[in-house]
Amino acid sequence: MQARETANSLWWLIHKDLIREVRTPQVWPGMMLLGLVLVFLLATQLDLPLEQKGRVAGGLLWLAIFFAGTIACDRSFSSERDAGCWLTLSLYPIPPSVLFLAKLIVNFIALVALEIVLIPLFVALSDVSLASRPGPLILIAALGNVGFAAVGTVVSGLTCGLRHRGGLLALILLPLVIPVIFGTAEATRLLVMGQTDLQWGRWIQLLAVFAFVFTVIGALVFEFVVED
Amino acid sequence: MSTVLSQHRPTVMKAAGIVIASLVLASTWAIFFVAPTEVTMGDVQRIIYFHVSVAWCGLAGCLAMGCCAAMFLARRRLTWDHWSQAAGEVGWLCATLTLLTGSAWAHEAWGTWWTWEPRLTSSLVLWIIYAGIFLVRSSIEDPQSRARIGGVLAVVGMADVPLVFMATRWFRGVHPVSPEMDPVMKWVLLASVVSFTALFTYLTVLRRRQLDLSESIAQREMSAWSADAPALRRLVPH
Repeated sequence: MQARETANSLWWLIHKDLIREVRTPQVWPGMMLLGLVLVFLLATQLDLPLEQKGRVAGGLLWLAIFFAGTIACDRSFSSERDAGCWLTLSLYPIPPSVLFLAKLIVNFIALVALEIVLIPLFVALSDVSLASRPGPLILIAALGNVGFAAVGTVVSGLTCGLRHRGGLLALILLPLVIPVIFGTAEATRLLVMGQTDLQWGRWIQLLAVFAFVFTVIGALVFEFVVED
Repeated sequence: MSTVLSQHRPTVMKAAGIVIASLVLASTWAIFFVAPTEVTMGDVQRIIYFHVSVAWCGLAGCLAMGCCAAMFLARRRLTWDHWSQAAGEVGWLCATLTLLTGSAWAHEAWGTWWTWEPRLTSSLVLWIIYAGIFLVRSSIEDPQSRARIGGVLAVVGMADVPLVFMATRWFRGVHPVSPEMDPVMKWVLLASVVSFTALFTYLTVLRRRQLDLSESIAQREMSAWSADAPALRRLVPH
């Protein structure tokens, strides 16, 4: 019974954020626009032979996605802060870890939406054969998104009440997710070069370990994040 | 205040300081005059004795910062936050020295100041995470909020340490893991690691005491201001 109530609470928290974004788009348009600008600018710099292009394309793509994704993380809690709903949200009778999971899933969905737009555009602009093996690419994206969203949700919760929060969020979030960025970039590079062997598997393991570790740590420490 | 001042024992600290300074000088002497010269690299190889020592202290600092931060989050005593900050600051200094000494060694061994090898990259990531946490801490004035936010970030940042430690084994980089060494070299390396760890501990204790004293002085000033508040209010014209 308790598990069902928790699942209901989780659903309503996710539903609330998604409905708010549909009714009054605040986060996704800015995030998409920044992603598009970054992909366009980076793709124009990829005037290289096909093999060299394949070596660097993955890194550039994931850099653009995660850099634009910081906007989604930045706004995870600031809408509640700005609208004066923070106290209500923190008094909601659920464990803080459920609130963390809800915000993580919303950020995950935002990243998926970003990737649905940016990856095909990047493939079209750069002519890199990313779409030939969608299964492994989806796996890389899913693991990378979970790791990034987990750390982003914690850091966003911590910095949303601070002065200069935007700059601080990027400063602390990007170094913390460097392993995730490297993991996605390297796994994508090997995928483009057709080397989905042991080395590729190790990068996938790294991404999975980070996604798991950061999700568990985030759920554990989130009660200290929301107590403010 | 009295508790903090009573903990401050200058004689003990001075004696410890003299012993540790002697240890560091002795290990430095051993590095230059006892350890045999390496055949391939010559005297440049002696950087390794410093590099390994400060790298270990940098990792220990990060671990200590995370563990003390976790203790603060559990107990809510500011002295744990002071331990965390002190260990983090000294650890960050060691991480900086690790990058500098490693870069100097790499220039001679690999012919380049820097290469994007996993362990080097991980060390740089650790350094950046340290810097980011201190930047966030410096932007918060309230000690409790600073300790809470810095504590959570330190715990999350600590998750990077296993990556730093295991990177070479996971990714088959070019960084040496356990190279074959002459027994004398091993002893000198051990002496260097022990003496630098003692120095790291000493500096951390000193910095923690300084932070405790600063906090006590701030509290005293606040108490004095509160006690004088009625008199001050009478002086201020309505």
